Amino acid sequence: MGTIRTIRTIISGLSLVLLPFTARAEWTVNLSPGVTEVSRSVYDLHMTIFWICVAIGCVVFGVMFWSIFHHRKSKGAKAHHFHEHTLVEIAWTLVPLGILVAMAVPATATLVKMYDPSEADLDIQITGYQWKWRYTYLDKDLDFFSNLATPREQIGNEEAKGDNYLLEVDRHLVLPTDTKIRLLLTANDVIHSWWVPALAVKKDAIPGFINEAWTRIDEPGIYRGQCAELCGQDHGFMPIVVEAVPPEQFQQWLAQVKAEKQAEAAAAEKSWTLDELMTQGEQVYLRACAACHQPTGTGVPPAFPALKGSPVALGDVGAHIDIVLNGRPGTAMQAFRDQLSATELAAVITYERNAWGNSTGEAVAPSQITRILEGNAETAGEGAQ
Amino acid sequence: MRDNSILRCWRALLGVLAGFFGVRSEAAREQDFKEGRALHFVVIGLLMAAGFVIFVIFLVRWALSLSGV
Repeated sequence: MGTIRTIRTIISGLSLVLLPFTARAEWTVNLSPGVTEVSRSVYDLHMTIFWICVAIGCVVFGVMFWSIFHHRKSKGAKAHHFHEHTLVEIAWTLVPLGILVAMAVPATATLVKMYDPSEADLDIQITGYQWKWRYTYLDKDLDFFSNLATPREQIGNEEAKGDNYLLEVDRHLVLPTDTKIRLLLTANDVIHSWWVPALAVKKDAIPGFINEAWTRIDEPGIYRGQCAELCGQDHGFMPIVVEAVPPEQFQQWLAQVKAEKQAEAAAAEKSWTLDELMTQGEQVYLRACAACHQPTGTGVPPAFPALKGSPVALGDVGAHIDIVLNGRPGTAMQAFRDQLSATELAAVITYERNAWGNSTGEAVAPSQITRILEGNAETAGEGAQ
Repeated sequence: MRDNSILRCWRALLGVLAGFFGVRSEAAREQDFKEGRALHFVVIGLLMAAGFVIFVIFLVRWALSLSGV
């Protein structure tokens, strides 16, 4: 009776262990097969080597456990003492060598495929910033930043977390499917790493270096990734969202984005009220500034100074604009002139001068910023000093 | 005398090869230490290390040419 109960316990235990295999489709512990030819070959390679390891494990542990059981002391087994056995030593050198060579052949084939960015139809420069990505569509006159879109309330546990918590951005990297795309990776400040598992692309973005990678996406869809190189405080808050669309739709999207950009330039020329600027300024502030200066404007001194009651936000507006546009060298304060539009810059500066009890009552007009940006572009040589 | 030194070099070569492979019987090792000359082992070892590097370079080139790069 005791034996039957033991067997039953073992069977029910085993079924618990084996249960996950029956639901492997929903099982997300394993590597993703992804949506590109390279990602599938990486997945196949991973599975091949995984099963080789399983087989080695079974043989090695099988022999070991069998030996322990079969040659146990209670059966009177005596250890056989010997110093060397050249034949066995040769065997245990040659067998692993053979296995390694067998693994190296498919691994090399996959690596060679991965490292061939030639003959791409579209070039995209990806620049890592603390803590956001910048995407430049080369020869397409398109360039934008992609910021985390998860609300601060979710991060602070004041709201329930969404489905794509910390994996959502304000602007997706839109890419055409069935097109060979070359990715040129670099960084503006520290080392980042651009990683999208579904594309099997994970490449360091290093300041002063340009690394190459490529992809050809087979299926339209949204693929999410993260920065994979510890890059500072908000390393976990600079996700990547790739949106793959069919080529025709990609062309439409390009045209649409260009039209929006023109509309935005036109909007900068109209006259804005203080209230309009404040409303937009708050959104821009939360997206671009709040990570360091905090949503309440109190900052985290001394690294990230408070804006509430600060001499910059309450003092000369020209100096304030200069710091936001050009940053402050030697500190974490970045230059936002390329990151935000003229309207966004005007709105956020207005917001900083009128929020949290800062009450200068001053509104900075987007057209004023446009003129400064245009003026600086002409005298860029002087501005660099 | 001349035959003897050729034989010694041959034995040193075998010893270095066994070292690259990682398996050498105790008896052969003792004989190497008793009869071999250190200089032979050093020179042959350096030559074979250089040879191994060249072999790897050609292996990589061959693999790349196979995959059409």
